[in-house]
Amino acid sequence: MATRHVSPQDPSLPGSCARAATAAEARYRIRRPVAPARAPRVIALDDGAAEIVRRTAALPWATARFYTCASGEGTPQLHGIEGRPATLADELATADVVVMIATDDGGAGGAHAVGTACRQRGIMTAGLVVPNTGVDADADAADRAVAAMRPHARVLLPGADESDVVELLTALRA
Amino acid sequence: MLRQEINELLTRTGPGTPMGELFRQYWLPACLAEELPDDDCPPVRLKLLSERLIAFRDSHGRYGLIDEFCAHRGASLWFGRNEEGGLRCPYHGWKYDVTGQCVEVPSEADNTRFCRNVRLTAYPLVKIGDVLWTHMGDPATRPPLPEFEFALVPPEQTYTSKRLQQCNWLQAFEGGIDSSHVTFLHSGGLKNDPLFKGAKGNEYNQNDTKPFFEVADSDGGLFVGARRNAENGSYYWRITPWVMPCFTMVPPRGDHPIHGHFWIPVDDENCWVYSFDYHPVRALTAAERQAMIDGHGVHSENIPGTYRPVANRDNDYLMDREKQRTGEYYSGVKGIAIQDASLQESMGPIADRTRERLVPADAGIIKARLKLRKAAIALRDHGTTPPGVDPAHHRVRSAAVVLPHAESFLDACREDVRVRPGVPIASV
Repeated sequence: MATRHVSPQDPSLPGSCARAATAAEARYRIRRPVAPARAPRVIALDDGAAEIVRRTAALPWATARFYTCASGEGTPQLHGIEGRPATLADELATADVVVMIATDDGGAGGAHAVGTACRQRGIMTAGLVVPNTGVDADADAADRAVAAMRPHARVLLPGADESDVVELLTALRA
Repeated sequence: MLRQEINELLTRTGPGTPMGELFRQYWLPACLAEELPDDDCPPVRLKLLSERLIAFRDSHGRYGLIDEFCAHRGASLWFGRNEEGGLRCPYHGWKYDVTGQCVEVPSEADNTRFCRNVRLTAYPLVKIGDVLWTHMGDPATRPPLPEFEFALVPPEQTYTSKRLQQCNWLQAFEGGIDSSHVTFLHSGGLKNDPLFKGAKGNEYNQNDTKPFFEVADSDGGLFVGARRNAENGSYYWRITPWVMPCFTMVPPRGDHPIHGHFWIPVDDENCWVYSFDYHPVRALTAAERQAMIDGHGVHSENIPGTYRPVANRDNDYLMDREKQRTGEYYSGVKGIAIQDASLQESMGPIADRTRERLVPADAGIIKARLKLRKAAIALRDHGTTPPGVDPAHHRVRSAAVVLPHAESFLDACREDVRVRPGVPIASV
């Protein structure tokens, strides 16, 4: 059994070995400001998600941009949350992460198109399914949304709520 | 990234803090039963949730957990004489029973009346499995005893160790739900460790280094599913349960015992890591038990007579650059437990989360922090009992399964992630 309890290198400075993890040494960590994420794109895939994204967009963010997605046949049509049309290719050109929000499977086509485009460009993806809890909600809609998004979101949060959206974007420095 | 005030809220667990009050809602491991092996054995000094305590086992086999310091002059009762049904301070002979009640003050003539008014803070200490558990909260809201499977199976089927980790509990715990680091940091262990190697699932781990994740709520906390490519048309899923506030399990590998951890705050800059291995349907083999004692798997080789690992920050964790180069140990540090500890301690005594660059793959950590924060605030503001207190929430298992692409792990594994006595774990 090993009995060696001191560093073989006998460091002459406390910051030159693992003992630098002490509270005293932690004070000397470089404090240069951390840059925000590179323009995260937050895309609502259906009407319910659009409401969530509108509310989220009203919070202060560094570089995040927010969109709705009309997913018919072919290329999805993006609109900025204020209504301005946008193209997926242009918006992904400068993004390093895309967050997709769904409340039902109405945006399955959009999830496929956005997810495929992100995969081709090596862009990280996250998907949040926020179930509609209204009295007239389709109980299986969220499950279908999860199934639609599963192949395309590197990280998927089924059963999310609106605070998860805000928390994820905050953690990503959006 | 986390705002500093939220980092403070989540990492401070002393008396009166929101997270400290949250922890005090639960039964928590206080020490191992092996630390108090006999009646009248030496007492044990403990610090838990920033409170200094003494654990002892009296002449009648009763366990006690009381304030470390004598009510008279504040001397440590670690020096005490454990005799005749109580712990006696050797300074002036004051004696306390397991409830903290002073039962003798030899210097005073009418010592019964005087004693009645002297009582140290005390918490219950209950043996379940290899662990002595305590509840440091309000006795009026004390929940039923814990029902974690590792502590309830017969003794020959389970083994628990512990080690000191010199950092805040939260960054240690977060490693327990961070499945993506396994492919890198522990890659050597998948090939070499006697408690890990040989499982078919290891091949999936090694062949697909970019897992997809799903993070789903459970009654007691979360299930974190990590999915990797398996054979055509199927995925390999590793499912990690977290039960609030600090219980995690590692998905199993083959027929190896299943393992997991409790991450218990000692104070704000240290934590105890309790590491367990058990098999739900068979006894551990002699070789498995010896491997655990020797510090393999999730266990550690500790300095004899202590729970401090032999490889620790004072010796650079016995870093071996040659083994780092050859890949025998991906980081150059031996052993899964110390590989985790070395990096988590290097983050500093309390990680500065205002400077993080998290990515979507960290969603499990992000979600866990949110749940902890919500629970702590709901408890503080409304007295809401947090998830994980109910023993029904304890009856979870990790799982490792291969599923068709179309199947949801939540639906397909609903039974696999529940404790079913006598039923084997779901493992690949």
